[in-house]
Amino acid sequence: MAETVTITIDGQQFQVPKGINLVDAAKMSGTDIPVFCYHPKMDPVGMCRMCLVELGSVVTNRETGEPDVDDNGDPVVRWFPKLQTACTQTVSEGMVVRGATQRVRDARDDILEFILTSHPLDCPICDKGGECPLQNLTMAYGPGESRFVFDDKIRLDKHVPLGDLIYLDRERCIQCARCTRFCDEVVGDDVLAFHERGRRLQIVTISDPPFDTKFSGNTTDICPVGALTTADFRFGARPWELDEVPSICPHCPVGCNISASTRLDRDFGGKKVIKRIMPRQNEHVNEIWICDKGRFGHHHARAEERLTTPLLRRGDEWVAVDWDTAYSEIAGRLKKAGDNVAFLAGNNLSNEDLWELRKLAHRTSNTPRLGVWPAFMTGADAVAQAGVGTGTRLQDMGPDSAILVIASDFEEEAPVWWLQVKQAADRGAKVVVANGRPTKLDRYATEVVHYEYGDAVAVLNSFAARARSKNKIDADFTARVDGAAELEAELKGTRVPFADAAETLLDAEDLVIFAGGEGLTLDQHRELMQAAANLLLLTGHAGKPNNGLVPVWPGANLQGAFDLGFSAETTAALADQPPTVWFIGSADPAAEDAALVQSLANAEFVVVSTQFMTPTAAHANVILPAQSFAEREGTFTNGMRRVQRFYTAQGPVGDTLPEWRIYANIGARLGGDKPRISAALVMRDITQNVPRYAAMAYPALAAVEKQFPDVGGDDLYYGGTAYTNTGGLGIQWPANAEDESARLQVRPVQLDGYQIEGLFAVPVRVLYDRSTLFEQSEMMHTHVPEPFAEINNQDAAHIGIVDGEVIRLNVNGAQHLLTARVNGQAPAGVVLVPQLLSKTPIVIGPAACAIEKIGE
Amino acid sequence: MEHILLRDLDIPDIWQFDTYMANGGYDGLKKAVADHTPDEVIQIVMDSNLRGRGGAGFPTGRKWSFIPKDAEIKYVTVNADESEPGTFKDRQLLEKNPHQVLEGSLITAYAIQATAVYIYCRGEFWDLAHELEVRIEEARAANLLGENILGTDWSCDVHIHLGAGAYICGEESALLNSLQGLLGQPRVRPPFPAQHGGGLYYQPTVVNNVETLANVPWILLNGAEAYRSIGTPESPGPKIFCMSGHVEKPGNYELPLGITFRELIYEHAGGIPNGKELKAILPSGASGPVLVATDEVLDSPLTYESVEALGSTLGSASFILMDEDTDMVWAAAKMNHFFKHESCGKCTPCREGTFWLDRVYERLLRGEGTARDLTILENVPRQMQGVTLCALGDFAANPVLSTVTQFRAEYERYIQSPEPAAASNMPDAAR
Ligand SMILES: Cc1cc2nc3c(=O)[nH]c(=O)nc-3n(C[C@H](O)[C@H](O)[C@H](O)COP(=O)(O)O)c2cc1C
Ligand code: SF4
Ligand code: SF4
Ligand code: SF4
Ligand code: FES
Repeated sequence: MAETVTITIDGQQFQVPKGINLVDAAKMSGTDIPVFCYHPKMDPVGMCRMCLVELGSVVTNRETGEPDVDDNGDPVVRWFPKLQTACTQTVSEGMVVRGATQRVRDARDDILEFILTSHPLDCPICDKGGECPLQNLTMAYGPGESRFVFDDKIRLDKHVPLGDLIYLDRERCIQCARCTRFCDEVVGDDVLAFHERGRRLQIVTISDPPFDTKFSGNTTDICPVGALTTADFRFGARPWELDEVPSICPHCPVGCNISASTRLDRDFGGKKVIKRIMPRQNEHVNEIWICDKGRFGHHHARAEERLTTPLLRRGDEWVAVDWDTAYSEIAGRLKKAGDNVAFLAGNNLSNEDLWELRKLAHRTSNTPRLGVWPAFMTGADAVAQAGVGTGTRLQDMGPDSAILVIASDFEEEAPVWWLQVKQAADRGAKVVVANGRPTKLDRYATEVVHYEYGDAVAVLNSFAARARSKNKIDADFTARVDGAAELEAELKGTRVPFADAAETLLDAEDLVIFAGGEGLTLDQHRELMQAAANLLLLTGHAGKPNNGLVPVWPGANLQGAFDLGFSAETTAALADQPPTVWFIGSADPAAEDAALVQSLANAEFVVVSTQFMTPTAAHANVILPAQSFAEREGTFTNGMRRVQRFYTAQGPVGDTLPEWRIYANIGARLGGDKPRISAALVMRDITQNVPRYAAMAYPALAAVEKQFPDVGGDDLYYGGTAYTNTGGLGIQWPANAEDESARLQVRPVQLDGYQIEGLFAVPVRVLYDRSTLFEQSEMMHTHVPEPFAEINNQDAAHIGIVDGEVIRLNVNGAQHLLTARVNGQAPAGVVLVPQLLSKTPIVIGPAACAIEKIGE
Repeated sequence: MEHILLRDLDIPDIWQFDTYMANGGYDGLKKAVADHTPDEVIQIVMDSNLRGRGGAGFPTGRKWSFIPKDAEIKYVTVNADESEPGTFKDRQLLEKNPHQVLEGSLITAYAIQATAVYIYCRGEFWDLAHELEVRIEEARAANLLGENILGTDWSCDVHIHLGAGAYICGEESALLNSLQGLLGQPRVRPPFPAQHGGGLYYQPTVVNNVETLANVPWILLNGAEAYRSIGTPESPGPKIFCMSGHVEKPGNYELPLGITFRELIYEHAGGIPNGKELKAILPSGASGPVLVATDEVLDSPLTYESVEALGSTLGSASFILMDEDTDMVWAAAKMNHFFKHESCGKCTPCREGTFWLDRVYERLLRGEGTARDLTILENVPRQMQGVTLCALGDFAANPVLSTVTQFRAEYERYIQSPEPAAASNMPDAAR
């Protein structure tokens, strides 16, 4: 344990970690010091003055170093004459605190009385009512009666939109600056500020567009009153009517723990429905934060466009049929198809879905084709060897740590990781950001590497070469690594173009690499992941917490898909050997890949399980209506290999079924077992068949432990309204490197770049897109840009294009009208094309392209 | 006696560079740089026992000694925000004797080896700030600031920054925030400005008042002992007293600390107009408690300690005098209104307390006060005292508490008879 000090609170002695905040220390010792402005995830400001305590220190004799004692043998305490704010103190040896004296109580009563003088007390119509720190602390403190003349109360605006997602009630605001500090300090987005002074002090948004951050919703959780409410939930329900269901965000590889606040709702046929999504604490994953995509991107679960019955194609018509008919039709086809069928798994199928899909596939063939979608990233074997150590917490990374983020637009692809890496940088961690173009994380980088797209592998490989030439190879560790000597020999003489960046990484004690897939071909990506594993294994940065590789997979559960035997290479091979029968589970390749559209059109039979009619489903012969994450149980495995449970939050829509059950039902018709009766039992099968998942039985995944800081429950005032984790912290499967007896492998990587003459297009990912699920959240539509292409300034000037102009992009033999963005972000010769802003596939990998100006 | 600070009263042209130079200008700086190490300069100022003239009276040399020697970057910040009601001394110094303030700040900068001096002027001083720019250039041309000052390897530049008209930006940590382009709100201390992490751009910084710094050249030239021979041992040196309100001859008076209230008011400032009786004294603008003009008070010496012993503070020595006809309730209301307007709003008791009191005073002055309001006027200021982030919360409590306790009958009259205040004492600017 870290160094501790002894402090005395209300006569009792406690050992607490040295240098921590006094409010936190008291909390750890079981004493509540009421706070409004202090928040354990942010620096103190000492604004509200609620946390007043009597503070003193034990007087020690200068010569002996022993505490002076009085006549009774008690240590002499030197008290501050004035009350002190606990939140602005860090604990030190001999600190003495009194928080329960009349003097302290009176002072806190006084502060509460002051706060209430300007408060509208409209709790009965306030969204926070029932989970409001001010309400709760008013019960504990403050005078029972008001001395304030009601007519003297200040009147202020009550519905001030701070952007279109968050509303401010100026009367309720108690000027604690939690929201501004969250934006400034935690996120680093300069979007909220105080305006004016004195009683006129008020929150305003200072960005254009207003409140321009991907994390705005978190301010509503930490606001200690109902001053900030979301457009999603305001006036939607009262907190005490809500039933909280632990869940996992289905949108990205971070795997944020969320809580679905549900209620039986008139607008949903009297059935249970999600009224809002809240963060659920998991200090290993998202702490107490989520991004706005996770918070507001849940509306697909009850969207009107949800498919509710199985559909069979009859000519150009869709005919609703019952499940039996659909199953029989499919089973008949699959029986005949043999090896001519390919299975494609989408990126947010649950592990249970994937397992049953795999089982079904094995009924059709001994060597079934199991592909994932999207399929531009791979390297699960590198992850298995050198994946980040179990117990990793980004919030523990600081001055001794280094973090490399390569080939990823991190905030767009994994927002909460971005946030945590940004904060690690604030704490002194060295952050190296490497990509073919600038991204937002560059702001916080110690070193920025802008390589030419295509050179990503060579750059990462050169870091390993630097490790060799600078004697940073960990010989003890490499004793376990096969191929290390050969690799080292191979690295000899490698040019290191970004030596400072390399050394920044190599000098740190802990090293985590986040690897995305931007600008790489699938073959290159395999090499990139290997190059990352090479670097980590040669330098011994694997097999322990806060070290290792984290893939920035696109989607919530590609890790699970890889774990259960699906692969991107299989998908890639389908282009050359298209199957005659497709079985697609919640994936929409037709929206992204023009080549696959063709093979789907040519196929004899296409089965798609999906929640919505997608471009891919449009090619189907049978559509199977699937359940969303909200209607059923399951598990996702996040990018750090943490297997996490989500629970049933709402009743099913129509006749929908969980996909694992759909697949099992079909399997049963092909001679398979009777379907399991629950997802838990499917997981039990997985635990028995997949060694990595041996420990992942549902009860184990549901285990929780006390986390710090305390949130939810009676501690609302302290950590905010993020929920206490009752659903499970999940379990990470250990990488091979963690097993000291395991042999590990490295190998030299292929460094080939790609040879594209002239302009080429690079697909990039944006958080707010028109992907199948997210596009159903209408409230986010204004945040999703029209399809655009980012063009380099010189290139644009050369072609005669200005920012905002509509251009024609010719790529892969097709033409697309897109809005040009000319803002200095695209490197020369590169056209950046965001994915999934429309349902028309443009590019899925780097490809030669041309840009045409349209008319005059 | 010749003036040490308000030298323009003896030499009207002293604002001009040549005149200043002809009268020993920058000799203090030259002496400091030529004859003394930085530490010796700090020691001399410590020995002089010069105390800060910005309000708190903190020993200046000690403040300088807190600057960590190992800090690479250090700053001097001159507090020219002068916003206390009734204070107008710094303005006269900067307008009429600007080089002396510059010289003082450069000596300070030398003593702590600062690389830059920032002069934070209240926004209304914009014309003065333009003039100061010229004075700075004059000094630069003479190698008294800028690169390699006086041929040494010490370089230090002087910059001027204009505030935007907030009283709170005179509070040193709010001043630093404002100077950095942040919202003008006080900071949590520690770290104090002189410490790592506490000063301008979080580098160790000395913040001194204009008048404080104007003393420094004289101390360097004449020595600590000569300085201590003026005033009293605990409160040595000359002090500028700003006289306003019901006084025959309003204006600035430079006098040694230790003279009595009576001498100041009646001998120097000409007493109370129209032969009226003096009723109450605000010795430190709006921010210190009101003193009832008793003989005990009038015969007290004006030192930091003795005014404190009377239950008030000397502060920046801005005397607002109130004659027998003054309505103390109205006066307190006006001062509270000032603090309500100027509270930065950061801490609850100050933000809400001044607002609450203001509403109570409004009602009181409208004749709608109740007996309960009187208890509120007694209680609420106490709830504000000692629990705020900066002293403004305490300041705001002072006029209210000190009038409610000492002029209670006047308050009661407002509750009993709903007469508005006498017209003569209700100037237009009251609200
Ligand atoms: C609300 C408030 C306003 C202040 N305004 C001023 C001011 O206008 N000028 C000033 O010199 N000091 C002012 N001070 C005092 C400064 O905080 C600081 O103590 C002073 O500048 C230090 O300089 P000195 O040691 O030379 O007096 C103010 C303090 C407070 C709490
Ligand atoms: S809006 Fe909420 S979080 Fe922001 S300052 Fe007001 S009370 Fe605090
Ligand atoms: S960061 Fe990813 S997992 Fe977390 S809420 Fe956002 S989209 Fe969901
Ligand atoms: S006491 Fe008043 S002026 Fe000072 S920090 Fe608090 S609110 Fe601001
Ligand atoms: S001042 Fe300490 S919690 Fe607000």
